[in-house]
Amino acid sequence: MPRLLRGILAALSSLGVLVAGAPADATVRAVASTPDLKSLTELVGGGLVEVDALARGNQNVHDVEVRPSLMVKLRRADLLVVNGLELDGWAEAVVQGANNPRLLVGGVGRVDASRGVPVLEVPAGRVDRSMGDVHPQGNPHYTLDPQTAAIVTANIVEGLTRVAPADREAFETRRREFLGRLGAAQARWTKTLEAFRGARVVVNHNSWIYFLSRFGLEQAGTVEDRPGIPPSPGHLARLIQQMRQERIKVLILEPWGDRKLAERVANEAAARVVVLAHTVGAVKGVESYLDLFDYNVNALAEALK
Amino acid sequence: MRVMAFVLAFASAALAATPAAAQEAEALRRELEQMRRQFETAQQEYQKALQALTERLQRLEARPPAAAAQPATVQAPPPSQPTLADYARPREPFALGARRGPGQLLFDIGIVGDFTGNLTQRNVEKADRGTFAGRENRFFPREVEVNLFGRVDPYAEGHVRFEFAEEFEDGQRATQAKLAEAYLTLLTLPFGTRLTLGQVPVRFGLLSHLHREALPQPDPPQVLLRFLGEEQFRESGAELSWVLPTPFYVEALAGAFDGDNEAAFGRGSLRSPLLFGRLRTFVELGESGALHVGVSGARGETGDRLRSILAGIDLKYKHTPDGWRHPLLTLGGEALYSVRDALVADEATFAGDTRTRRRLGWYAWAEIQPWKRWAGGVRYDSTQFPVDPGREWAVEPYASFMPSEFLRFRLAYKHTERSHRDGFNVNDSSARIVDELLLQATFFLGAHVAHPF
Repeated sequence: MPRLLRGILAALSSLGVLVAGAPADATVRAVASTPDLKSLTELVGGGLVEVDALARGNQNVHDVEVRPSLMVKLRRADLLVVNGLELDGWAEAVVQGANNPRLLVGGVGRVDASRGVPVLEVPAGRVDRSMGDVHPQGNPHYTLDPQTAAIVTANIVEGLTRVAPADREAFETRRREFLGRLGAAQARWTKTLEAFRGARVVVNHNSWIYFLSRFGLEQAGTVEDRPGIPPSPGHLARLIQQMRQERIKVLILEPWGDRKLAERVANEAAARVVVLAHTVGAVKGVESYLDLFDYNVNALAEALK
Repeated sequence: MRVMAFVLAFASAALAATPAAAQEAEALRRELEQMRRQFETAQQEYQKALQALTERLQRLEARPPAAAAQPATVQAPPPSQPTLADYARPREPFALGARRGPGQLLFDIGIVGDFTGNLTQRNVEKADRGTFAGRENRFFPREVEVNLFGRVDPYAEGHVRFEFAEEFEDGQRATQAKLAEAYLTLLTLPFGTRLTLGQVPVRFGLLSHLHREALPQPDPPQVLLRFLGEEQFRESGAELSWVLPTPFYVEALAGAFDGDNEAAFGRGSLRSPLLFGRLRTFVELGESGALHVGVSGARGETGDRLRSILAGIDLKYKHTPDGWRHPLLTLGGEALYSVRDALVADEATFAGDTRTRRRLGWYAWAEIQPWKRWAGGVRYDSTQFPVDPGREWAVEPYASFMPSEFLRFRLAYKHTERSHRDGFNVNDSSARIVDELLLQATFFLGAHVAHPF
């Protein structure tokens, strides 16, 4: 038994030495908690940064299972970019399991992308769970406003610079180029949705307020009575009545939402369901942060016609 | 006027002729606007800070200057007796929240309430040999826990858990409060290691370290009850964790503890410590499936200073279809093998002798969750008794209803059969065959740490 144990330990140690002793890459190994942040990190990092994401595009980023495979990603990472505002609180458990002190809160490789973002819907007064799975620091879905990308990418560049100071200029240059392209694209998106300015829509989950506000649309209600709590029949009846009275034509649903329920509400209210991508990779063809808005703007404009 | 019209017409023509330049200008304007906002935010923060500093300076300047004017050689007057107001004034650390603002520099607090109801036959109640011994046909607080946790400093974090529960000891029921866990974790050790010190849950196997509310069924598997006792496997000592730098997940754990377990390791001294080791890995089977495999071993002494060894292997599989927020199928199981020396009295000579008992026990469960709010499953248990002869088996179908992430109800039916009456024939009543209805109600208040896979 002791010989066997010694053999196993020796094999594990040599494996560890082999992997740890491999020549260092020229790249920064970054991991983002969400696909949006992965895309933004790729856009500013270019070939200097190898980026992975913890959540997949088809997952609800509120609820991601803490799998050890996610801990492996963080075990070797130089940088972790988190959304913050308690959207990806599960990422903390992944960090805990990875035993990588660089990525702890306050560590050199930790980036909170929400720092400096003007946060919407910050609750005033008392907050408790009777309000559902409420976010006490405000609505965390800020990446759905393209305007916040300037702040988010500034935070990412700052983090990248901490772990790779020599590449600061390259990161800054790529960021400027990206923001230029984003600005041009945003003008196009604004123009596409200009005709629908002031239109009122219903959403499944309260994740679209940044997107709607940016493009001059209004959120008339939510299918979820309170965040994370399935709606009561009474709430649905009131919502359907409101949609009929206000002639609301569109109900926005995330791919992870309850499609049957959304279609039932929409049918009752003579509206239509439009599935928008809540993050990069949520629907086919949305491969980058720019694709995300291309898809969502066109799909919404089509639905509002 | 004509000049202005000419300029405007020229500008419009120029803009129309160069759409790319216009777009770039638009982008720059937006970036400029963004930077202006950032600047304004920073300016506001600085103004607030300046205001706070100014007020602080004014307060200091408003104080009588006598103390400052005194020469350094003059002895300070003897301190006056503190007044009642001094006692009432909040001091560190209680003033941190007031000084820094709500939620700043404070740790997290979470409360879990876990209540269990048990309905069973009269003879089982009389024998006190149901799943929750001494609490048959009762609805009782099985565990109300208060969790306090947070970062101690940049290098460590602390966890403290107080537990209140209805216990049954020496024929008496009483609500007891105890320190269930209290430990310090050093986070910044090199080579992917982490050290935990204090009274910790020993991560032996799949379920023995989990809080009761985190178990997949209302009650722990029989093999854990028989081999480790009703208390969870919690020990005082140190545990080192190492996540290996491999392309796949491998975590190695090793620990040394006092040995305070009520059933298997009761020696309670570092002169003959309880040594523990565990290796666990994880394999993703496509995007939907995931398999966890672990092996554990522990060696120590019983309260009678006799050898006790425990080895285990555990498996857990989850299938979560694409886009689902919860697993559709969960399979889990664990087998434990116990080698324990026991004192046995010879019936003829009444002489005591040490015999080695080798015993095996296992459980497996399957659970499906077709809807977010509803889950159902079944668990099968089979175990020998660690020292006494005989075995028992149980089958337990159950259903869970979860109105939200923070509230859960469970209903289970459990049928248990034992091969012997010995030990289960008490107070002129037999509990060899037991049928029970178990009801569990659990709520979560405040902060709650996410449970890994």
